[in-house]
Amino acid sequence: MSLMDALPTPRLRWEGRHPNIVLLSLSLIMLITFWAFDVVSMAPNRIVLGTGYGALEAFGWPGALLATLLLSSIAILAWQPSIRHYRALLAAVLLLMALMPVGLIASSYLLIDPELPQARLGLGAAYWVVLFVLLLCLIEIRLRLHLSRLWPTLLLCGVALVWWLCAAFWLDSLALVQEFRARDQQFLRAIGQHMALVGIAVSSSVLVGLVLAMLMRRYARLQKAAFSVLNFLQTIPSLALFGLLLAPLAWLAENVPFLDQLGVSGIGTTPALIALIAYSLLPMVRNTYIALEEVSPNTLEAAKGMGMRAGQRFWQVRLPLALPVLLEGVRITTVQAIGLTAVAALIGAGGLGTFIFQGLGQAAMDMVLLGALPILILALVVDAGLGALAEALRPEGTR
Amino acid sequence: MIELSHVSKRFGDDIAVNDISLRVPKGKFCALVGTSGCGKSTTLRMINRLIEHSEGDIILDGQAIEAYDPVKLRRRIGYVIQHTGLFPHWNVARNIGLVPRLLKWSAADVQARVEELMALLGLPVGEFAHKYPHQLSGGQAQRVGVARALAADPDIMLMDEPFGALDPITREKLQDELAKLQARLHKTVVFVTHDMDEALKLADHLVVMREGRIVQQGSPLALLQQPADAFVESMLGGLERGLKQAALTRVKDHMTSLGPTLPAHSRIPAVFTLRQALSMMLRDHSDRLTVVDQHDVPIGELSLRRLIKEAQLDKGSAHE
Repeated sequence: MSLMDALPTPRLRWEGRHPNIVLLSLSLIMLITFWAFDVVSMAPNRIVLGTGYGALEAFGWPGALLATLLLSSIAILAWQPSIRHYRALLAAVLLLMALMPVGLIASSYLLIDPELPQARLGLGAAYWVVLFVLLLCLIEIRLRLHLSRLWPTLLLCGVALVWWLCAAFWLDSLALVQEFRARDQQFLRAIGQHMALVGIAVSSSVLVGLVLAMLMRRYARLQKAAFSVLNFLQTIPSLALFGLLLAPLAWLAENVPFLDQLGVSGIGTTPALIALIAYSLLPMVRNTYIALEEVSPNTLEAAKGMGMRAGQRFWQVRLPLALPVLLEGVRITTVQAIGLTAVAALIGAGGLGTFIFQGLGQAAMDMVLLGALPILILALVVDAGLGALAEALRPEGTR
Repeated sequence: MIELSHVSKRFGDDIAVNDISLRVPKGKFCALVGTSGCGKSTTLRMINRLIEHSEGDIILDGQAIEAYDPVKLRRRIGYVIQHTGLFPHWNVARNIGLVPRLLKWSAADVQARVEELMALLGLPVGEFAHKYPHQLSGGQAQRVGVARALAADPDIMLMDEPFGALDPITREKLQDELAKLQARLHKTVVFVTHDMDEALKLADHLVVMREGRIVQQGSPLALLQQPADAFVESMLGGLERGLKQAALTRVKDHMTSLGPTLPAHSRIPAVFTLRQALSMMLRDHSDRLTVVDQHDVPIGELSLRRLIKEAQLDKGSAHE
């Protein structure tokens, strides 16, 4: 811990005299986008491109004014930040996020003709930019308030709950909601498949990674070979790897009845899993290997000299000391696998990627979003969750 | 008792330890001294089989060390290393209790032993038991290291430059404490150091090594009086040798009874060394000191002439 961290009060007082440039510029960006770009778009049906609407048309005078006031309040609070101001900033940012779906409800009343049940509301550029910038604000505020990762995640879950409630009860006209309504069973199944694929791929790569890393420590020659193979695997584009696996797996399924019974085939889950594991191995093995190697030789020498057996040295000394770096590897691998699994839809393995590719095929951007947004959220949640877990499992003396 | 006879260690074509023979009787403190790379650490680590020797015999309590299970052997030998090697993820109490736990002592016994050792090494239990190694100073950490090595009450202690990384004041303090501890516990100690003063201060038996061989061994006094060659002499500090020798002799062994003359002005406690006596004479411009006991009562005197003569006399007597 640096001296600065140990002395929070003078630091914040010092900051109190200087505007927070980051938050100031972010709030300015939001204000400009809010007024300069389309807030929502409206289309009479699924295929036709929608017409964009600005803030005034979408929210009316009162709504636009409220949003402007809230956005400006961020700039005002950031001008002379103190701990109390940062807390107020946190509240303002969360309030804005929670109000975003309410704004959509307002625009659906203002813009959509009840005579046109097919009409659908889309999110405009300003909406996305403001949402993204608000998340950036949240990160900045979290750092200034020295909050752990967990708190903002929990608060975001609250915001997500508001979004979900609005979407479930009052936002029938939102395109995303309509896409979901049309295929809710399919959506739930896709999320399940997606998580199953990621879970199996990551847990197998954790196991294989651990074994491989330990073998590499024992046999120095294996280390070079394994790393070059894994590095090479990582350079093959994912789509190409799926293609490469197609022929040999189809052949295997054809010629080895046992594998066929297991469900091995050229397309589907098997090649998807093989590819996912292949990609997951490099970050996993690299982190595991480094984690195990980084443990101080002095400590291990002492452990041996004290009369600990090899197993005791590994389980009681090496592994606990390697755990933080090792879990970091699991986190990186999982987040990477969540993204990669989207591509697996192309070879019929299912998952959220299905919507992305179907949507692309039908030129229905809202359907693409239906696949892409949950992937994004899943990645963020897993990232925060595993980060918090690594922090909690870190041995006390090494914090 | 530890006995090494004609022990060698080869790493490929290199020979790290070359045909050394050495005997450490039970309860004695043996220091291995030499420049870096002379094989002293390797010798030490062969005794607890962290390194297996290539030739010769290492006998521990009458049995060749190959006959012991290496893990069980290490558990009955205390081991202290330079950078403490404490486990950073364990607190002080858990670090100290390591070997007793490996030996499957009951939790209550382990705790009692840990508290006993912490008291012995001047680490208040309430203050230190739950601290982690990174919260300790270098001296405190090495006390924990020594406590950990003593935990299962081993007869033999191996210490590999235990105080090498400490500042001079802390080092001296820990040396004094180790000397006191040894006077109480009578462990059989093999102590590796490159610091000759440290070795002279602590050892009963001094072994000077160079390029894998033993150049000379014997009592510190014997080595100071008759260094075998120029290397040993330079290790012993060349011209400073006389002072080092004086530092090994106590005033009480060489004082004369109080004479008829007036007691000298300067007083020196009987347990001080001749070196301190000489320093006091130089400081006070006096050629005579009054020797006092712990209650500051005069019990004898020491003259400069006597001091020089006694150093001369030692030369003849100190052969072992």
